[in-house]
Amino acid sequence: MSGGDTVRDFDLDTTDLDPRDPAAGQRPAIALAADDTLDGYTRADLRREELEIARRFENGPLWFYPAWAVTALVVWIALFPLTMSGHLNLFVACMIASFIAAGGFVTGHEAYHDNMVRAGGKHRWLNDFTGTISCIPILLPYSVGKLTHIRHHRFVNHPDHDPDYQDWGHNFWHAAWRSWLGRQPRGQGSLAAYRRTLQDMDTPAARKALREGAIFQMVYLGTLFTMAWSGYALEAAMVWWIPRHIGLWFIRLSLSWAPHHPRKDQSRYGNARIMKSPVGNFLAMGMEVHMVHHLYPKIPHHRTKPAYWALKPVLEKRGVDCSAL
Amino acid sequence: MQGALTRLFSVMPLIFGFGFVAPLIAQGMAAAGWDAPFGLERIVFGLIVGGTWGLYAQVRGRWL
Repeated sequence: MSGGDTVRDFDLDTTDLDPRDPAAGQRPAIALAADDTLDGYTRADLRREELEIARRFENGPLWFYPAWAVTALVVWIALFPLTMSGHLNLFVACMIASFIAAGGFVTGHEAYHDNMVRAGGKHRWLNDFTGTISCIPILLPYSVGKLTHIRHHRFVNHPDHDPDYQDWGHNFWHAAWRSWLGRQPRGQGSLAAYRRTLQDMDTPAARKALREGAIFQMVYLGTLFTMAWSGYALEAAMVWWIPRHIGLWFIRLSLSWAPHHPRKDQSRYGNARIMKSPVGNFLAMGMEVHMVHHLYPKIPHHRTKPAYWALKPVLEKRGVDCSAL
Repeated sequence: MQGALTRLFSVMPLIFGFGFVAPLIAQGMAAAGWDAPFGLERIVFGLIVGGTWGLYAQVRGRWL
């Protein structure tokens, strides 16, 4: 596939990220003493078994994702008048806003994968609505997030085509430093990579996403400047500016760097890892088993870990390193 | 429109220095009870520091 093709072949369809074809797992994962034919049969059987298990964890009630997204947005908006009127301590507001900014990615992410309501489904608007409101505090338009995230799934760990590749780092602190550098005026981090990706795609959806990105920036900066010159600079900083940066740091490190480190493997069973997070799976936002999400993106976020426990024996037979959990 | 936005964003560090960092410094000093040096008003001090910092970020391409 040429570079140009990989860019322009991309669209908003998320269905083929989770191929039903058992042949998709044909990469040799375990060394068998028999010939290639037997190895091929074994891999196909494992893949079939894997699919049957994964299907049990797809779908299910997902109403709490939109509910959380609406609640979080209302609380975050309320932080502005509460801090401006002096009813809420700025540091408390900053902690709440940071949690909302980072957590918004979880609900937005479900919408990126059309998990709440699939395309063509009744109440489809609920999926897009949830995605739209989830990442306002972090200043990531739904259109930008969805296009670039699906592309991340297609080309995960590819140095040129994975928009999240810039989150690499030799270790945690190196990744944190690179994340900060990437957000500087002439930084080349993930947000700059998102812009380049959309420019390269040059589709109507990508152009729309770029326009929305510019509008988001204008509203964000306009809000900060207006509040600052109206005497509420500290409130603007503690409710939006700083929480956004904290949220971005968290997302880049916990949701991108950690589960894909060291970002060298692009294979189906090696592009993400099973890991033990020092802050636990909840605070790591489910990233301990991020590999399962890349295998089966239609499994909702909250069912990914139970799915891992069920899939673990099959993954181990394939040679996946599950020693961390 | 796109060209105007591109030009605007190209000088955003400088605008951000004057538009946000300056009042943030002034109001931060007021909240801490600090006076500006050399008898300056806090906002004037904020504009000097924020503007200079914004100019630095504009030229250097990073804030630190």
